Amino acid sequence: MPQLTYLEAIRQGIWEEMERDPSVFCIGEDIGIYGGAFKVTDGFIDHFGAERVIDTPIAESAIVGAAFGASLTGMRPVAEFQFMDFIGCAFNQIVNMVAKAHYRWGAPAPLVIRGPSGGNVHGGPFHSQNPEMWFVHAPGLKVVCPASAYDAKGLIKAAIRDNNPVIFFEHKYLYRRIKEDVPAEDYIVPLGKARVAREGRDLSVITYAAMVHVALEAAEILAKEGIELEVIDLRTLSPLDREAIAQTVRKTSKVILLQEDVRSGGIAGEIAAIINEEVFDSLDGPIVRITAQDSPVPFSPPQEEYFLPKVSDVVREARQLKAY
Amino acid sequence: MVKKKKVVPDNSARHRSNGRGQPGAQSSIPNPSLRTYRILDYRLEKPSFKIHQIRKDGEVRYEVTGDLSAAVPPIRESKYLNKKQSLEIYRWMLLNRKMETALENLYKQGKVVGGVYFGLGQEACSCASAYALREDDWLGPMIRNQGSMLVRGFSARDIMMQYMAKAGSPTRGRDASSHFGDIEKRNVVAPISTLGDLIPVLAGVALGARLQGRDIAVMTYIGDGGQSTGVTYEGLNFAAVQDLGLVLFVENNLWAYSTPADMQFRVKDLAERAIAYGIPGVIVDGTDVCQVYDAAHEACERARRGEGPTLIEAKMMRMKGHAIHDAADYVPKPLFEYWRKRDPIARFEKYLLSKNWLSSQENEKLIAGVERELEADRDFAVASPMPQPESAGGGVYCDTSCHEIKPRYGAPKVRLTKSGIATARETAVHLK
Repeated sequence: MPQLTYLEAIRQGIWEEMERDPSVFCIGEDIGIYGGAFKVTDGFIDHFGAERVIDTPIAESAIVGAAFGASLTGMRPVAEFQFMDFIGCAFNQIVNMVAKAHYRWGAPAPLVIRGPSGGNVHGGPFHSQNPEMWFVHAPGLKVVCPASAYDAKGLIKAAIRDNNPVIFFEHKYLYRRIKEDVPAEDYIVPLGKARVAREGRDLSVITYAAMVHVALEAAEILAKEGIELEVIDLRTLSPLDREAIAQTVRKTSKVILLQEDVRSGGIAGEIAAIINEEVFDSLDGPIVRITAQDSPVPFSPPQEEYFLPKVSDVVREARQLKAY
Repeated sequence: MVKKKKVVPDNSARHRSNGRGQPGAQSSIPNPSLRTYRILDYRLEKPSFKIHQIRKDGEVRYEVTGDLSAAVPPIRESKYLNKKQSLEIYRWMLLNRKMETALENLYKQGKVVGGVYFGLGQEACSCASAYALREDDWLGPMIRNQGSMLVRGFSARDIMMQYMAKAGSPTRGRDASSHFGDIEKRNVVAPISTLGDLIPVLAGVALGARLQGRDIAVMTYIGDGGQSTGVTYEGLNFAAVQDLGLVLFVENNLWAYSTPADMQFRVKDLAERAIAYGIPGVIVDGTDVCQVYDAAHEACERARRGEGPTLIEAKMMRMKGHAIHDAADYVPKPLFEYWRKRDPIARFEKYLLSKNWLSSQENEKLIAGVERELEADRDFAVASPMPQPESAGGGVYCDTSCHEIKPRYGAPKVRLTKSGIATARETAVHLK
């Protein structure tokens, strides 16, 4: 089985969908001859032609608006944001024009908005954000955050085939740092389903994207002390897999919610409320949140390190919660 | 006699590295660095007035200065419209106007939920423009373009039920006023409340059609106020650079809520903005059916030939307030007087009668027919039920059973590769 990086897996996923379905096309900035700022669409324009790999002016509202318009004629656009931080520039189109379309006037919007998000790359406040919650908060959108190369390929394919607008957050830290077996054949990973990244019996860590790997690293350290962590990779933030959340809490009774996102308004708060609603009686200890601080992402490496949740945070909190 | 501002797009100027003209150069030698552009102006009168803020008697208010004494010009003969078409547009305008009167009455009877938005004085623009569209084209109406939705095949009862929030409205009660559309038959994109957002969307519709091998015309509107938004710029610029067939009507009705056009932009005519996008710009009298139709028709034909967008500025005035609650007291009275004389329906009625395309008897019959239709629609809409409360649920997402999405105009074009044309393949689903 071929070993692919997370980035290459996404690239292959989009490529396969464009081969499979002529209504799929790419639109975004510098995605054509340049192949995309992160080279996700490298080689696409040569193979698929300039009609299906469209370089746009710097106009995010127009990119999303035009993608939506094209989807009304039955196309399936894949709109790239060079950095998901720039999604603010298209915010109104996404939450007011696209998200509400099916509910309001019965118009499905089968578009995918994808791009790199997340920090730990010394990108500073405008190239390191986790904007996912702005869109989890808008009914009508689906929000996907893969953590593995296998999932990245399967999820981007599923997102493209989904009749709903999907915001697909690719964690840039993972782009070239993880490499794993990815099947060559056609497969999808369904949206709205979490996965068990690591089975364990003592504590559950529910997390997503780059923090899945932080949790897995912490799990290795804790295993040596006899603490077995179960790591749940959410994969999709909206709709959330409530059953997977409930199941792991029933199993371990203690849960840590880990997010790279800033504390206030992050998915951890939402999950804590869901746990309270669904499986409160299963809890043997308080729900613990490990998050970034409530600030923009700082630029200087020692500051960013302070800002981001670390393996040591997970280890410390897990030990404490285990002892509760 | 129409005086055109004689400005020709000068291709040679594009190759010059320095576009700056010589300061104070008034010599007889033509200045090669001077750029010139053309904005076609179809109007038979070019009123010049300005709206200022002044302080008077302890109050700040608007005052209009300029010559408002000109007589109403005749309707400019259309190059394209025949008798049958002209009568059809006239009927649409009557339906548009009388429907809005009916809505006003329903509002006063307490049957409307929320406000009512009027296109009074703008019926020629809404109806004659949409009349130029063909079945395969698309429309993106704005709040005062309800006439265009009637032309496109919605009925007065559809719009009334929207306003009354009824279960049988096109949005099943989920949205108000003109916020509805139809992707299956009538090709209408539903507007949202924020302004300019339809522009990139309609451009995208044209893009989608082109990817399927068709150049269509897509038409939408924006006001003198709405065109100030950033998304207007982004959308129109995108359409221009991609040569998409967007026909954009800039409805300069002089007022954006309470803000006069003179406080929205510095240019003299909004059509001049076309120069900045690199597309043709046209000015028409928005109260003249023939001018509106001709400009719309030519722009749509350009679009269908793949020649890209056109910006059409339609000059007129909003004859009521922003919405029914707004008495528009801030509008200087002389402006109402000036534009009342230019009522689009009265002007076109006079034109049709003078051409003997309509006799006064036929006119009476036509009006009576429209009123009968509206009466029936009104009764239907009033009698129709409100939605069940639970009907607020569902439909947030499109699940596998509700829509089948497929290309509208035909198979999207794919580039032939060594491996041949793309074919659909079966999928193995791995759950991990």
